[in-house]
Amino acid sequence: MVGGGVIQQILRRKLHSQSVATPVLSWFSSKKAHVDAGSSGVRAFALLGAGVTGLLSFSTVASADEAEHGLACPDYPWPHDGILSSYDHASIRRGHQVYQQVCASCHSMSLISYRDLVGVAYTEEEAKAMAAEIEVVDGPNDEGEMFTRPGKLSDRLPQPYANESAARFANGGAYPPDLSLITKARHNGQNYVFALLTGYRDPPAGISIREGLHYNPYFPGGAIAMPKMLNDEAVEYEDGVPATEAQMGKDVVSFLSWAAEPEMEERKLVDGFQVDIPTIAGSAPSSVLQATEMVGSQVPEAGS
Amino acid sequence: MKWNLEKTEDSNNNKNFYSSRPMADDEVVDPKKYLEESCNPKCVKPLLEYQACVKRIQGDDSGHKHCTGQYFDYWQCIDKCVAPKLFTKLK
Repeated sequence: MVGGGVIQQILRRKLHSQSVATPVLSWFSSKKAHVDAGSSGVRAFALLGAGVTGLLSFSTVASADEAEHGLACPDYPWPHDGILSSYDHASIRRGHQVYQQVCASCHSMSLISYRDLVGVAYTEEEAKAMAAEIEVVDGPNDEGEMFTRPGKLSDRLPQPYANESAARFANGGAYPPDLSLITKARHNGQNYVFALLTGYRDPPAGISIREGLHYNPYFPGGAIAMPKMLNDEAVEYEDGVPATEAQMGKDVVSFLSWAAEPEMEERKLVDGFQVDIPTIAGSAPSSVLQATEMVGSQVPEAGS
Repeated sequence: MKWNLEKTEDSNNNKNFYSSRPMADDEVVDPKKYLEESCNPKCVKPLLEYQACVKRIQGDDSGHKHCTGQYFDYWQCIDKCVAPKLFTKLK
């Protein structure tokens, strides 16, 4: 434990000053030499000191590249975060509207069908009407030809580009990712996407971004191909909620969270008061889980 | 905040439908920007550090010096202040 505390102190010193490697090393070695009488012990600690110095110089260089990881996003209090909380479905509906009007021109959501929206954000009639607005290629027909028809509930949401190459070509080489699972595909996804969308700012002094890219501190590296898309009143919400940038960000992230985890509400109902993680007791029959649902808080055990 | 009550028509052309909007030229104020500004006093220290850095690197022409660290510290402070409050201002 003493060794651990000593290393902590050294790291703290190192981070505050740039060039004290040698004195630190000798200080460290001499301190340890007093504790351990044997000469082999001193040699071992000298080697350890050398290793620590190497590690410390590495960390100095690495810390200069914090832009590489992007600014850490804060945690927002999402209404569906609680262990028994459901989605805000009005928010999902607005979020789909934002997606359709702002994002769908570049981002596909090819895992979502119109029928998935029924009962979540729209009624069946509304979803059918929305689907009918798009043209879908179907076929071949009896004559062996492909034909286009209006969309149905069973069709997937339309894709803006025919393939990835077309998407890259239209966006300066960058591929706008499919958003069906984006909040699960990024670390701390919901908070990250919200921070990213609402976090476009002027770059810090000394940083210049090349033509065609935009500065976003949350994006790893800082230079993102997507421009700021959420601007106040870019969308006019059907329910009259003022469409500020933050409101649209919240709604679209609610929609994306639902898209990535449509089963969340049912999962929370099944888990009840148990820990809300995908159950590790995959082998346990569901009747066991349901029986234990109301009996205080329990954590399913693997293999039980 | 003063509210501007105006008679509007809904989609069925019913004229007795009142809608309200905040004043200031019918412009909506983004709550996030507003909260970021109001959190500024709490984050004076990192802001001053950032400004000191900007001053330090002003004369530099090598293009290698930048203030990302101080910038990140400042925005992390602001974000931490804004995040718990923001959603109370949204629907």
